[in-house]
Amino acid sequence: MDKKEQETINDIHALSRKQQRNILKRLFGFAWAFKKQFVTAIIFAIGLSVINIILPRLLQYYMDNYLVHQDTGIQIIVGFAIVYFIGTIIKAIVQFIQNFAFSMGAERTLERIRSQLFRKLHTLGMDYFDKTPAGSIVSRVTNDTKTLYDFWTLFLMILVAAFSMISAFIAMMSVNVTLAVATALFVIALYLLIWLYQRLSSKIYQRLREYLSQINTKLNESLMGISIIQQFGQQKRMISEFEHKNNQYFNQRNKMINVNSFLLYPTITLMFTLSEVISLGGFGLESTHTIVAAGVIYAFISYQQNFFNPLSNVMNYMSYFQDGMVAGYRIMKLFDNQTTSPVQNEDSAQKIEVGKIEFRHVTFGYVPNEPILKDISFTVNPGQTVALVGHTGSGKSSIINVLLRFYEFGEGQILIDDHDIRDYSTQELRQKLGLVIQEPYLFYGNIANNIRMYDDSITDAQVEQAAKFVDADEFIERLPDAYHAKVIERGSSFSTGQRQLISFARTIVRNPKVLILDEATANIDPQTEQSITRGLSKMRDDRTTIAIAHRLSTVQDADQILVLSHGRIAERGTHSELLKAGGLYSELYELQSMD
Amino acid sequence: MGIFSRLSWFFKHRWKQYSFGVLALLLVAACNVVPPRIVGVVVDAVSKKTLTIKFLMMNLGLLLLVAIMGYFLRFLWQKMIFGSSYVLERDLRNRLFHHFMKMDTTFYQKWRTGDLMAHATNDIDAVREVAGPGVLTLADSLITGLSMIFAMGMFVDWKLTLYAILPLLLLAIMANVLGNKIHDAFMKSQAAFSSINNKTQESVVGIKVLKALGQEKQDEADFDKYVSKNIKANKKSYRLDAMFDPLTSIIMGISYVITIILGGLAVIHSQITIGELVSFITYMAELTWPMFAIGSLFNILERGSASYDRITELLGEKSSLVTPRHEVKTTPNGPLDFEMKKFHYPDDKAIALNNVSFVLKEGQTMGIVGPTGGGKSTIISLLMRDFDHYNGQITVGDHDIRDFKLDDYLDTIGYVPQTNFLFSTNIRDNIRFANIDATKEQVKAAAHVADLDNDIDDMPEGYDTQVGQLGVSLSGGQKQRLSIARAVLSDPELLILDDSLSAVDSKTERNIEERIAENRSNGTTIIAASRLSSVEHADQILVVDHGTIIEHGTHQELLGNKGWYYDTFNLQAKNAELEGRLNSHG
Repeated sequence: MDKKEQETINDIHALSRKQQRNILKRLFGFAWAFKKQFVTAIIFAIGLSVINIILPRLLQYYMDNYLVHQDTGIQIIVGFAIVYFIGTIIKAIVQFIQNFAFSMGAERTLERIRSQLFRKLHTLGMDYFDKTPAGSIVSRVTNDTKTLYDFWTLFLMILVAAFSMISAFIAMMSVNVTLAVATALFVIALYLLIWLYQRLSSKIYQRLREYLSQINTKLNESLMGISIIQQFGQQKRMISEFEHKNNQYFNQRNKMINVNSFLLYPTITLMFTLSEVISLGGFGLESTHTIVAAGVIYAFISYQQNFFNPLSNVMNYMSYFQDGMVAGYRIMKLFDNQTTSPVQNEDSAQKIEVGKIEFRHVTFGYVPNEPILKDISFTVNPGQTVALVGHTGSGKSSIINVLLRFYEFGEGQILIDDHDIRDYSTQELRQKLGLVIQEPYLFYGNIANNIRMYDDSITDAQVEQAAKFVDADEFIERLPDAYHAKVIERGSSFSTGQRQLISFARTIVRNPKVLILDEATANIDPQTEQSITRGLSKMRDDRTTIAIAHRLSTVQDADQILVLSHGRIAERGTHSELLKAGGLYSELYELQSMD
Repeated sequence: MGIFSRLSWFFKHRWKQYSFGVLALLLVAACNVVPPRIVGVVVDAVSKKTLTIKFLMMNLGLLLLVAIMGYFLRFLWQKMIFGSSYVLERDLRNRLFHHFMKMDTTFYQKWRTGDLMAHATNDIDAVREVAGPGVLTLADSLITGLSMIFAMGMFVDWKLTLYAILPLLLLAIMANVLGNKIHDAFMKSQAAFSSINNKTQESVVGIKVLKALGQEKQDEADFDKYVSKNIKANKKSYRLDAMFDPLTSIIMGISYVITIILGGLAVIHSQITIGELVSFITYMAELTWPMFAIGSLFNILERGSASYDRITELLGEKSSLVTPRHEVKTTPNGPLDFEMKKFHYPDDKAIALNNVSFVLKEGQTMGIVGPTGGGKSTIISLLMRDFDHYNGQITVGDHDIRDFKLDDYLDTIGYVPQTNFLFSTNIRDNIRFANIDATKEQVKAAAHVADLDNDIDDMPEGYDTQVGQLGVSLSGGQKQRLSIARAVLSDPELLILDDSLSAVDSKTERNIEERIAENRSNGTTIIAASRLSSVEHADQILVVDHGTIIEHGTHQELLGNKGWYYDTFNLQAKNAELEGRLNSHG
């Protein structure tokens, strides 16, 4: 894994301008929905700048016009204080609205991205989940989106800064055109600085994010595998590996601090002082041959201060911006991921009525050019059972994986009720094809929820009925809270057998037309297994069934048995036909009878 | 402010960096005084027409020097203070990880993965803010604020200053009231974030089930519920956040009102000059920034403190595993004597085990069978020391297993769990997980015992094949066999197979059993199984149901009992044989 991770790190390049523009455009696309909040924030931010200019002027006016007269009455003074205080209250209100509107705009934008990202996840094919660690996916949905919260602040800062800079520039122009232009030239230096910063920091931030994601992946995996780690006494090794990752991240952080401290906030004060040197020098030289009023110099320098001050904020938020850009890049990469689930014709109203299934010369491989299934053809008539038999890796599971559209197959065609499988909407397929998975997975919550799985139209009675059907009722009712017994993460307080029973009930409660069994009953005690066998054969009665069969009953009762070998169907027929044919299957059966 | 003292261990640890940082901040403040002074001197010279080129250049040179010094000093404090804050982040994260590695089953039943991850990312981040921006804001606002107040009193009037800064006491009240609220609101925000993390984690790990059930839309709707909750929680804390600045403005406004009235009267009564009032107001304007900074400081601190509470709550969780009273230093060996009068799970009143006892001699093999939920896994869980509190005793060679150091004890056990978990690395490192320095031969031998060697040889990349979250998906049977190889690699005293042969066919099962017997002539083995054929050859077999032993004996004895074992055996024997063969050939 380390090698792979290192490759990812080495593979990082600074984001190109085109990429940055693209990310910005798309992020703005998300923010557009909350333009009301953002526009409100901007208007009030500019309003705030205006108030911040007016209030000191008011004070000045008061001092210049009233305090110079010794006869100013207490009424005027108090009256003025009241006016000033009202001004302050207005300022406070404006501040609040600006802050709150902006926060909510940013918050809603990031939550929108989060929600869409989660939706995107559900469109991705199984291969994406096979290849991407859970921790890294979670990190994308939660942490990367969160980073975008501070991202927008920069734009607000830029707007406010632009507003004060322009007014300061006009003020400077009114005093001294040459020096005003000279001061404005610093904007070019600033531009170059930002350009340099972007170049340097974009790589660093990308590495930073990647390391953070790797830390999360490591953490996630260690938490999920904690019992193994502890049982094998490998805590120390895990800790040292984790610390190593954490250190790499820390080193990258240090690089970030260096770049940020060198190129961001401290440069603005430097620029201001440099511009002071220029204006002071300019005025000083001028004063050697003409008369320069002291007030003029003071005024000009204070305008210069107004010119540069807001830039400090801008530079402070540059790093958040850069961090957000990189997070945005990673998010967009996920949005652009093409490993989508096999595409269905979602508008199709085609219904699966009888449940006839046909494979025609189907070829499939998880990796191109390494076919797992080769030229698979078979037909399952409605209500029939087909048993798939064969060694690990012979292709049994792959047949189920392509039939359920977890993976896209290559050549050939799969037909359900004589229509191409792609002509059914995903919903129709999922509703009518019921899968019983080999490794049951339970969700946090309670047992009833796990059987119902979000489908609130399923009544409590139906849940209990389903549990009874698969003989799960006995153990469930023995639990203190029965159907409301708590299920912790991954259902790990239940035994594998119990988890399997619950997952059976989950499939059965949906009453599918076609049953797809990845049989794994070996985890269940024989009595339960017998009940399940009974239950499953009851279920199979009016359903088409495709089963990876380990159970004798399934095999013997099957209308057709497909014996798979190296991705091909080696033998096919019913139990008795295969026995008569005297091939591999009969050989096996003979062997058994002799025991 | 309490958070500073709670983090004092860290500040003490990094006192040099922080002192340097604050010193640099002080010097920056000093540097800030110079430019206005130089401007003053030059302007004076200009108005007096005494300015010479040399004098001008000298002053400009000085200005330039100060500018460059200021630049480096700023760099220095950023590096010192912000740099240290990331040390805190790193150390806290390591500490959490250490803690996670130590915690017991009870802990992992209580906390969810997404939640624990949120602590290690989001909360740590909020605490880091205290040690970086928090310290900076505190130091900077104090330096600027105090120097301005001093200037106001020194250069204008102490009495007026006192009155003018009196309202600033309100800041303390604001910080207190708002601070508590922010603390609570932020706690809720962080909890909401944890929930989103949990939710995402579950959907990603359980994606196959969701896909198979066609629950994508519903899952999305469910996720959106969490998002809405998060927005609601954040809205509350953002609303409180947004109140800091306005309240500070109002408090500053009161100060201005006092200055306008008292200052104005003082000018009219000629106690101070108008010029002095102008300076006074200028200084007050300089106070505005530190005041706002204090507002945001409290925000940072309360957030940090809420997150630190969450982290310390986690770190405060004690493993309920018993630390040995009289620690036994010897490595555990000898017969295993299991005597359990009563055991129930920590959060469950129902008796899980009732009067279960057996003795297992060294080198023996014991089978545990019985219906699902009957208590097989509970026995194993106690042997694995998942739980240490029970009425009874488990001894190995006359020592209570709780008297061994947990690691020493577990080192002697090779455990194959029911649920297979592989790490995202290659097959080789997964097999030698317990001993990463194991040689090629040892790994191969272990793979052979687990009957996995041929499978691996068939893979294009052999032992280098990546598995787990980043690699190829192995079949259920291959995963089980890999888990077995992992457990036998270290040649443990006690090997426990917890229903770990369920996904392999009977031929493979027999291979594995034979090879285990061959390779472990001295080792003790416990096999819990659903399939009776797995335990047939065991020296003794326990049949467990409803938490108690209902039958106990050898295969033959149990058959003679004509009880559960006999019934089940007849039921299974025939089926198992054929099924196994069906699936192993073809």
